Amino acid sequence: MVQTSDHDLLNRMLAGDEDAFTLLYRQRQGAVYRFALQMTGSVVIAEDVTQEVFMTLIEHGRRFDPARGALASFLYGIARNCVLRRLEKDRWADAELEDSAGEDDLLEDLTRRETIDQVRRAVLSLPATYREAVVLCDLQDVCYQDAADVLGCPVGTVRSRLNRGRAMLARKLKVRAATAGAGESVA
Amino acid sequence: MNPEQDVLAALRALADADRAKEAAPHVEVKLRRALHGKERERRLKRIAVWAMAAAAVLVAILSTYERRPRQEKAHVDPKAVAPLSVSQPVPVIANPERRIPRVRRTVPREIVTDFFPLVDVAPPVERGELVRVSVPATAMQAVGLPVREDRLSDRVQADVLVSEEGLATAIRFVKYSQ
Repeated sequence: MVQTSDHDLLNRMLAGDEDAFTLLYRQRQGAVYRFALQMTGSVVIAEDVTQEVFMTLIEHGRRFDPARGALASFLYGIARNCVLRRLEKDRWADAELEDSAGEDDLLEDLTRRETIDQVRRAVLSLPATYREAVVLCDLQDVCYQDAADVLGCPVGTVRSRLNRGRAMLARKLKVRAATAGAGESVA
Repeated sequence: MNPEQDVLAALRALADADRAKEAAPHVEVKLRRALHGKERERRLKRIAVWAMAAAAVLVAILSTYERRPRQEKAHVDPKAVAPLSVSQPVPVIANPERRIPRVRRTVPREIVTDFFPLVDVAPPVERGELVRVSVPATAMQAVGLPVREDRLSDRVQADVLVSEEGLATAIRFVKYSQ
């Protein structure tokens, strides 16, 4: 079966082809949703963001320029703006996450082998600047160049934010204690 | 393992755990509905644009039709008709009745001569109709207007005054100036 490119699907969608939209949505919504979920920790916000991203695509899809990057990066860019707006709006929620991600609690939880949730909490407790680099590069497997396009900064900045974010995560997870739990979970 | 590898392993575990997560189906339903609405709106807009364009063309056609010069009903004072034997230079006047179409600014202005009677004893003409015709330049010569020999075979425009009885009673010649 011939794989239709994102750009072709987008063009067809903009011409009113609903099937093309459905195909494009099904191919790309997962990444957008997971990005929003990992950035906010909220299923509700992640769904809102996903909806907003694709509504923006429906309304302003013609602004996409394939010469400036892949459609996936374009969608991440829109999602990032939506997420940052939501984080700004819901600062209290961020603070709540920060509180609940205290290192002592983490260690205790990790010993109860709730590794995944604790890693998620640790990621959510990172400042947004480092969180988005970690989410894009380590959780979404986006390459540094695409991440730089999404974040609007040089590749070097992405690398340094990523290193800093990982170091902060290591501290938060009390790495040595977490090793066993994370290792088991991965295995 | 060093701390960075531990972190990467933990992040991989989280990524694996989230890999299958997707937005709920109702999001897709909402979006498809929005797309459908947008497409309908776009179709209506397109129809409205075509309708407006068609209306504009119609208005343009009607206004052009309205501005087309018509055969005029002329009120002619019989006393103003010049005698047949006239030989003095003919005063040439601009016809104030002829309107210049606004859309055709480059159309030359018409200049007309006085009327020359076509019958010996012209009946009094209260109302008549002007009919624009093309006649040989010899017709000008016939009423005493000077015409160069080499232009005698040219055709010139003229307005013939036709009385209500259908009698051609007078003629005037038309020339155009830019």
